Amino acid sequence: MSGAKVVAPADRTVIGLTFGNSNSSIAYTVDDKAEVIANEDGDRQIPTILSYVDGDEYYGQQAKAFLIRNPDNTVAYFRDFLGKDFEHIDPTHNHASAHPKEVDGTVSFTVKDKAEEDAEPSTLSVSEVATRYLRRLVGSASDYLGKKVTSAVVTVPTNFNDKQKAALIAAANAADLEVLQLISEPVAAALAYDARPEAQIEDKIVVVADLGGTRSDVAVVASRGGMYTVLATAHDYEFNGVALDKILMDHFAKEFLKRNPSAKDPRENARGLAKLKFESEATKRALSIGANASFSVESLSDGIDFASTINRLRYETLSRSVFEGINRLVESVIKKAGLDVLDVDEVILSGGTAHTPRIASNFSNIFPQTTRILAPSTNPYAINPSELGARGAALQASLIQEYEAEDIDQSTHAAVTTVAHITNAIGVVSLNAAGEEIFVPVVPAETAVPARRTVQVAAPKDGGDVLVRFVEGNTHIKVTQPEPKPKEDKSAKVEDAADSDAESDFSDDEEEEEEKREKVWKIGNTLAEAAVRGVKKGGKVEVTIQVNADLSVILTTREVGAKGGVRGQLSA
Amino acid sequence: MATTAVVPTPLLALPEGWTAEKDIQIIGKLSGATQRTLEPVGPYFLAHARRARHKRTFSEDDR
Ligand SMILES: Nc1ncnc2c1ncn2[C@@H]1O[C@H](COP(=O)(O)OP(=O)(O)OP(=O)(O)O)[C@@H](O)[C@H]1O
Ligand SMILES: [Mg+2]
Repeated sequence: MSGAKVVAPADRTVIGLTFGNSNSSIAYTVDDKAEVIANEDGDRQIPTILSYVDGDEYYGQQAKAFLIRNPDNTVAYFRDFLGKDFEHIDPTHNHASAHPKEVDGTVSFTVKDKAEEDAEPSTLSVSEVATRYLRRLVGSASDYLGKKVTSAVVTVPTNFNDKQKAALIAAANAADLEVLQLISEPVAAALAYDARPEAQIEDKIVVVADLGGTRSDVAVVASRGGMYTVLATAHDYEFNGVALDKILMDHFAKEFLKRNPSAKDPRENARGLAKLKFESEATKRALSIGANASFSVESLSDGIDFASTINRLRYETLSRSVFEGINRLVESVIKKAGLDVLDVDEVILSGGTAHTPRIASNFSNIFPQTTRILAPSTNPYAINPSELGARGAALQASLIQEYEAEDIDQSTHAAVTTVAHITNAIGVVSLNAAGEEIFVPVVPAETAVPARRTVQVAAPKDGGDVLVRFVEGNTHIKVTQPEPKPKEDKSAKVEDAADSDAESDFSDDEEEEEEKREKVWKIGNTLAEAAVRGVKKGGKVEVTIQVNADLSVILTTREVGAKGGVRGQLSA
Repeated sequence: MATTAVVPTPLLALPEGWTAEKDIQIIGKLSGATQRTLEPVGPYFLAHARRARHKRTFSEDDR
């Protein structure tokens, strides 16, 4: 990071930033709590758009509005172009705004950004566009905080490569902003949840589904004692917020044409299309809250005004293929991580599209009931999905703002971050109600070392001398097929299904008898046996397992409340 | 971690005649590990990085 902008810790004012293709967001911390800042327009989700009109620069929501009247001088959907060669960008989303082109080997946009009527248009590299946009974000954050913001932690997708990261840092530096650290988006979301005062730090497998405008990114994260390891990721550019807008655009365009058979299709002229898109997105958002939403555009096509409504069920039916694509994406990344839905403790819904109630309720159906689905429509304690990234970034910024830049570099270096993670869980053997030996996990698989965990386990009812058997364990999924049904019963069911067409729309698999799937622990390799003697009736035994960085293991156990105890060490 | 988990299912009784030096018998060792990348994010990672950089142990860190 030679030449990067560096600010001395004492001189810093820090924020957390998300910088998306669709929206950006700013957060800061007060008393260790992260807060998302509204800009001067009152927006907390600030469209990542710049627009030039008569030499004035607009950004955010105001620039977004200019997509209708001034698309050629409006630059949108550019974040993913940073650090990329022209031939590797996907310009799909730039049809209705300034087009990216190749100039001197870099992705650029040509816009009229000067006041003079006859001034030549300017060609701006994507880096310059990013710098100008980030400068506006920093400006509004500085205004809000009443002091000049100097430094930020910025979130990036997990598949951002080194070149993209370097380009983003350079663009921020050119806007006079020090980048303290780039952190990955799903981890920022996980941190935003874990930093809440009521949160319990526990070992858990978390799936973060970040559903945005132009992309859907899903990550499986092993969260171990408050530390995060990404086990697998998947990225999709098809099943996203823009696809949902398109569904409503087509729906309302068809409605319009039905009512106005002789009018021109609004999708066939640029302004009609832009109006359709703008209003469809607003309607889509309204459908996340209400069961009905209205749609109304003045002079949609041929000067004809159009107003309509749509209910949520209709919208969900039309959008089914997008929702199913998102489901498949989530299922595929869990598989890629070598896990099963039964292994997932928590699903964090992040990003604007994650507000969609149907997406959350579909997840509730994919995962077992014990999995927490953290979305506004399924959990009253959920954090606003649109704010998770910025909050996580702000929390990280406040954690490291006192560090010298060099210390941050060292702490984030591969020498510190690349560590062994144990393959199998480590635990002890206990007895279930049926008197069978079962595995009790103490340190779960995919825990980074060094690690230490302590549990208390009940002693046998009458106390006495107790055996603590330390073992490895792992899980498998046990599938029990349903009892085959008598024939008559089955045909009756088929008729039923045909009758309730509307209902069966989303619940196809509920028509079939479901197989039972459960996660079962298997006791593996024995590591050690220890005796805890003379435990009192109703007593408990404390077990501590510490795995060292060299994979040697220290085992200790004793009666809870007693002194001394037994200690042993396994070699690496 | 703040709270210690309590497991309700009981441990086994010590078999009759079981003995070992200092009451512990080492039998095996860990079967495997994978090198992976910890995300350098959050307070617990920073504590980890501190321990790693200063070669400190958990108990030294507790003090
Ligand atoms: N309440 C809502 N209900 C449904 N969709 C919403 C809601 N709020 C925002 N969205 C959609 O979320 C998308 C934007 O997501 P987000 O703000 O996470 O952007 P982003 O990360 O910049 O996206 P990307 O980089 O994927 O383009 C847009 O398609 C927007 O219409
Ligand atoms: Mg995003």
